[in-house]
Amino acid sequence: MSAIVDLILGVVTSIGGFVEVGSISTSAQAGSEFGFELLWAVAAAGIMLAMLVEMGGRLAAVSKRSLAAAVRERFGIDFQIVPLSAEFIVDVLLLAAEVGGAAIAVKLLTGIGFQWWILPIGVLAWLVLWTCGFAVIEYGIGILGLVTLCFVVSAWKLGPDVADLGKSFVPTLSTHHHLRYAFLAVSIVGATVSPYLLNFYSSGTIEEKLKVEDLWVNTTTAYVGTMFGTVVSMGVLVSSAMVLGPRQIQVDSYEQAALMLVPAFGRWAIGLFAVSLGIGCFGAAVEIALNAGYVFAQVLGAPWGANKPRLSASRFTAAFTFVLLLSLAIALIGFDPLRVTMICVALTVVVMPAMVLPFLVLMNDDKYLRDHKNGPFRNGFLAVLTILGALLALVVIPLEIFGG
Amino acid sequence: MDLVRDMLDKEVMDRHGREMGRADSVVLEIRQGAPPRVVAIDVGPSVLLARVAMFLGRWVTGLEHALGIAEGRPVRIPFEEILDQELEQEDHIKVDLAAGETAAAALESRARTWFSGIPGGS
Repeated sequence: MSAIVDLILGVVTSIGGFVEVGSISTSAQAGSEFGFELLWAVAAAGIMLAMLVEMGGRLAAVSKRSLAAAVRERFGIDFQIVPLSAEFIVDVLLLAAEVGGAAIAVKLLTGIGFQWWILPIGVLAWLVLWTCGFAVIEYGIGILGLVTLCFVVSAWKLGPDVADLGKSFVPTLSTHHHLRYAFLAVSIVGATVSPYLLNFYSSGTIEEKLKVEDLWVNTTTAYVGTMFGTVVSMGVLVSSAMVLGPRQIQVDSYEQAALMLVPAFGRWAIGLFAVSLGIGCFGAAVEIALNAGYVFAQVLGAPWGANKPRLSASRFTAAFTFVLLLSLAIALIGFDPLRVTMICVALTVVVMPAMVLPFLVLMNDDKYLRDHKNGPFRNGFLAVLTILGALLALVVIPLEIFGG
Repeated sequence: MDLVRDMLDKEVMDRHGREMGRADSVVLEIRQGAPPRVVAIDVGPSVLLARVAMFLGRWVTGLEHALGIAEGRPVRIPFEEILDQELEQEDHIKVDLAAGETAAAALESRARTWFSGIPGGS
């Protein structure tokens, strides 16, 4: 019974927690500029995320080690310093972008400049991290995040042509602006497969004490939850394609992206968009900061856990506090959150091979996975993703310069 | 035993099952006419980062001095203190010490003082 409850909560959380600053901005830009053409990229990114998250959860459930801890043990610090440093940079920037996104959401609701909301949002995020256990953080924010289903409702009410949608799931080359198209396709992958998600999910599996016999919960949550979450991202893309695209509105601010909900929700549109953006970004900000605490403590072998009193895991507490403060400082400088987001998603793609490669080794190691090692299909996927990731990493910076 | 696979980077637990850190370095004694012998493990971020680059290790040592927690760090744990020496079979290294009695807990204690005045932390 408890496994069923965990499964339902896990799936709901995956849906509610899927959309955040990266997925909203990349999907909205893709829809407004290329119609439905990039739906395949959203679907492909969702499959990649589901498979990686499932492996991270399985590794944690069987070995009782998070991804960061397993990489430290298996590869040593000489290797780990590379993905660790890269993830730190991406996470700090992404956290700044998420806080900025949440601040813009409050600005949309109140009309007061977003810079004024950065510090209060940072303080609120820290208070959530200081006072709440894992279940409240994960499920509470995930359930609130169900408001993002408004993008799916919007897409449904707009009534897209089903045949057009179906065709868009087959990867094709764009008829115009090839570099921009390629950049957005790669960015969608970068926005979806965030490095922090992998360790966060595996740490969460340990926090929830998932047993090996309940591995099916992990598998189902990873695939079903991500699939439904991907549908929300697709809702953003379709709404943007049908509302912003025909009006030649290019999304270069979140205020413009909010207009995509107007035909479906009328005067409630801006408020709904703001609440969706706000909850999505705030939830992601809390998770990124929490994961920073996880990674720091796990790599050093210090006590960690959102279910532990904060003073009995004080290095873990200090780490998430430090990363939150650093990100707030960056957000307060006044960078455009949308620009920071697009830089983050490009950097995510650059670091992807270093994040994926350890999976290939760990998921085939008897010591960690015992009878639950990867089969040929999953290994093939990881090998393709590593090679593809390396190729994308090579092209993403030129694409950012010429197509971003 | 494979030192790199079975000892280096493994989590170190004290006799009460509390986390002390990881085996950040392994100390070997080089003996004339005999194979090297493991004499201790070192625990501490300065030796950990010194494995990446010496200047990083020195930088962490400087930081520990600045925080007033440098005394006794890195913590050197003699091999004899390791309780179960069949490390191939173990998920972690259990040692016959109490984390609180060594400098391994110094940063944890110092960080605790930063937050101790805030309600709801314990």
